[in-house]
Amino acid sequence: MMLRRASLRYHLRQPWQAALAVLGVALGVAVVVAVQLANTSAERAFQRSAEALQGEATHRVSAGTAGLDEALYTELRRAGIRPCAPVVAGYVNAPGGDPLRLLGVDPWAELGVRDAVASAALEVDAGRWLSRGGMAVLFKPEAERLGLGAGDLLPVEAGGRRHELEVAAVADPPDELTAEGLRNTVVVDLATAQAVLGRLGRLDRIDLVIPDGEAGAAVLEQVKARLPEGAVLKEAGEGAAALDEMTAAFRLNLTAFSLLALLVGALLIYNAVSFSVVQRRPLLGRLRALGVARGQLFRGIVAEGVLLGTLGTLAGLPLGFALADLLLDLVTRTISDLYFVLSVRSVTPAPGVLAMAAALGVLVSGVASAGPAWEAATVSPRTALERASLEAKARRLAGPLGIAGLALGGLGAALLWGYGGGIVAGFAGIFALLVGAALIVPWAVRQLAVALARPAGALVGTPGRMAARGVASGLSRSGVAAVALVVAVTAVIGVSVMIDSFRTSLTTWLDSTLSADIYVRAPAQTGETPPPLPEGLAAELAAVPGVTGVGTSRRLRAPSEYGEIRLRAFDHGPEGDAGIVYKDRTAQAWADYRAGEAVYITEPFAAHHGLAVGDTVAFRTPEGERRMPVAAVVRDYATSQGAVYVSRTFYAESWGDGVINGVAVYAEPGADLEALIGALRQAAQGQGQALQFRSDAEIRARSLAVFDRTFAVTRVLQLLAAIVAAAGVFGALLALALERTGEVAVLRALGLTPWQVWGLELSRTGLLGLMAGVLAVPPGLLLAAALTGVINERAFGWSLQLSVDPALLAKAVALAAVAALVAGLYPAYRAARVAPAEAMREDG
Amino acid sequence: MSKALMQLSGLSKRYPEGDTERVVLDGCDLDIRQGEALAIVGPSGSGKSTLLNLIGAMEVPDQGALWFASEDLARLSERARTLFRRRHLGFIFQQLNLVPTLTVLENLLLPLELNGTLDADGRRHALALLERVGLQGRDASFPEHLSGGERQRVAVARALVHGPGLLLADEPTGSLDRETASVVLGLFDELRREQGMTAVLATHASEVAAKADRSLELRAGRLQEVAPA
Repeated sequence: MMLRRASLRYHLRQPWQAALAVLGVALGVAVVVAVQLANTSAERAFQRSAEALQGEATHRVSAGTAGLDEALYTELRRAGIRPCAPVVAGYVNAPGGDPLRLLGVDPWAELGVRDAVASAALEVDAGRWLSRGGMAVLFKPEAERLGLGAGDLLPVEAGGRRHELEVAAVADPPDELTAEGLRNTVVVDLATAQAVLGRLGRLDRIDLVIPDGEAGAAVLEQVKARLPEGAVLKEAGEGAAALDEMTAAFRLNLTAFSLLALLVGALLIYNAVSFSVVQRRPLLGRLRALGVARGQLFRGIVAEGVLLGTLGTLAGLPLGFALADLLLDLVTRTISDLYFVLSVRSVTPAPGVLAMAAALGVLVSGVASAGPAWEAATVSPRTALERASLEAKARRLAGPLGIAGLALGGLGAALLWGYGGGIVAGFAGIFALLVGAALIVPWAVRQLAVALARPAGALVGTPGRMAARGVASGLSRSGVAAVALVVAVTAVIGVSVMIDSFRTSLTTWLDSTLSADIYVRAPAQTGETPPPLPEGLAAELAAVPGVTGVGTSRRLRAPSEYGEIRLRAFDHGPEGDAGIVYKDRTAQAWADYRAGEAVYITEPFAAHHGLAVGDTVAFRTPEGERRMPVAAVVRDYATSQGAVYVSRTFYAESWGDGVINGVAVYAEPGADLEALIGALRQAAQGQGQALQFRSDAEIRARSLAVFDRTFAVTRVLQLLAAIVAAAGVFGALLALALERTGEVAVLRALGLTPWQVWGLELSRTGLLGLMAGVLAVPPGLLLAAALTGVINERAFGWSLQLSVDPALLAKAVALAAVAALVAGLYPAYRAARVAPAEAMREDG
Repeated sequence: MSKALMQLSGLSKRYPEGDTERVVLDGCDLDIRQGEALAIVGPSGSGKSTLLNLIGAMEVPDQGALWFASEDLARLSERARTLFRRRHLGFIFQQLNLVPTLTVLENLLLPLELNGTLDADGRRHALALLERVGLQGRDASFPEHLSGGERQRVAVARALVHGPGLLLADEPTGSLDRETASVVLGLFDELRREQGMTAVLATHASEVAAKADRSLELRAGRLQEVAPA
């Protein structure tokens, strides 16, 4: 009881110290909570939406982008297969910014499949559905957001064409879950959806409700028997699972970053508890002398750490909730940029996430305080935690810790580069690497500081020597500050170099691949296949003066032995394969590809499916299954799911259509592209479809803008980790300044002015920051190599060229020094204000 | 009688103590004569250290003046008082004397460097002083590797190295055993006399006071001359 009282009073007398520890845990926990909540909210929104759209369906028939002939639906119904609901769905632009999901259904067929959609659609009477096209049913939240009511017109745009839908009814979703799942959805009849989305006569899929057991198996056989070539029957949840998997690696990356912030927060707790132990050394010594057992002391100090951690966790949970709002926006935007349109309005509280973060915060605090507690409990009462004995111990420990760090770093390297584990093994390797580097830091700081003392002395005299030696002699404190800084700066270097390398690789790829001068396509949402371009458009554009040639592309999703895959059918134009960046290929690759006798696969595709040059890929085409050899693996950063390139010849043979959805225009050398775009627009007029004409430079700029947005969330997390580290440094430096009060008093008595003391303290701080920055470079580069060479490849299948910009490293080192200097301003100010007489009196 | 190096007149100092104030010095008058060794004695808490801190310009009095070479230290700015300490004073404290991050020699060189007089001669002088205090060969050691007595001997050498006009010693042997204290004190006295320096020692040890030319007792905030034994 008395021990607890003494401990509580101590913390009440040193509120800043306790506050700093609480802040460290709060920030660490907040980042974990924020990332997890943003992830789960995005995931949940996606799941709800998938569930609402799936309804009761157990199976679905689809055929990739090409879609199904609507006659199949009639045939299935005639065969008595019910419930059976056809769907044509896609995204359209609407007023208000967010894209709307246009869900084209047969209102009566929806019954028993998606009752909520059926009852919404059936608010409009049957006669109107049958007699008039262009009608839409909105759900109440969307109607309110758009300010529309029954009878109003809703203008939408899809594939470059504008349409007006008449709001026939506004429906109330039956419950919250359905409302969330059907957010941003507008229900129309099949014909309207086909007209708006440019898919006349085609269906995206047919949803089926098939019972379990033998009866169901028989129905499935009936369905299979009626499937045309190229169509596949699969379980209804598969598509959603695949989409969810798409973003899994992205979300795992964010989780790893949030844990990094917590790790730095743990260092802060360690620092605060260890400082509180050092401060109370006479008291603890006296308690030991009075007969307090080691276990009692140990438990008491760990309890303090856990209490501080609990307070920090309690503060961190609401903070995390607020931060999640900001992150959610970034996460949703990234998913929408890269994968598919996702709309998430608010953070969903997830008790599991909160409980996990709370447990983590308290546990980490307990573990972080165990070290100092052990230290306090194991020394003899006589030497009880004298500063000198503590420092001697810190120096003795630095070497063995460094060796342990090397071993751990080696283990990390083995996990990363030794064998081909999965992404979790990769992150475990990175964690081991970081912790290993952190363990080496105190030893390295001491060696560096000792080595620097002489040159620093030669350079700025005694204060320089004192600054360097001060770092070395206060290792128990400066070591922790340096560790916090090194971990944060390592992360900054690693992630910045990775982003930089990624950007450089992307730019190099864009430079090669954008070999044409102008690209033409119809507008489309992320993840959606661009709508077909009008027939004859390529020829018309090729005839425009100043154009030397055109290439065409067809993008679609097609069924294959690996499920629905992204297919790119190219007519490469006059430049041939100049725009393709090969990673591996056969000698005859280009000739075989062009002749339609082989395909190319992108790096991520090869990585996800374990394929290499010489393997084969089987496609389910309308002409039956076609198995094709892989002639090359090519670099492609357009999609992390990967794609297969086929020649136009092979596409035409297998899919039998002449559809294109992109034209690449090659201009005469030195042509005025703006003027040429004007001429091309002129030539394309009268097609009735809005088209996008973009120069290669514009596409490059847009791609890089998406890239930068993608990494915005990473940068935010990086910043948060750096803030936590700076708080750690601040705490450590303040502790150092307080501990050195007596030393400063002597210096002041000897005639050092407050400014000189300030300068001395700041030099010490700056030097510490500089050393931490320099020490962070090797692990930072290793981290960068791991992120670019291992994590990216394991998570996304991309291999990136590691490119290190010395200016970036210099900036990171400077950042460490500046962060330390800023964190050291107040502690230095405090030191400078030391009244020598008062300090002497207190210490005496 | 030699002239006064420093004159204290009507010096008062109070410290807040809860809601009230504790009067530590209550109108002290004192002439510190050039070249003398003056001992301030008194029980613990009598205000010896406070008086020494005022003489050392580490604090300013609430009332009164401290005249040193026609300047009232009580009216000097913080910076001017710092420069005064740097140039004219040598300190020896009971503990916390040495800068832990400097070697023994560097500790000695620090006052010279601060005064801008560090040169080869200064270095030679510092080494000679080290030899005088019996620490030759320990110049590269750090304070943490020295015994308490050795540390105090370094402190004595450092207090003298830049030839200050006034030496201030606050319980200089308070943390030492009798034998070591005697050695340190002997050295202090010998070196001070050699260099003709004035010294003020705050102590409650009679053997320290015995080494002084005169002793004053601080009682109830006032100074009273103690008759020689």
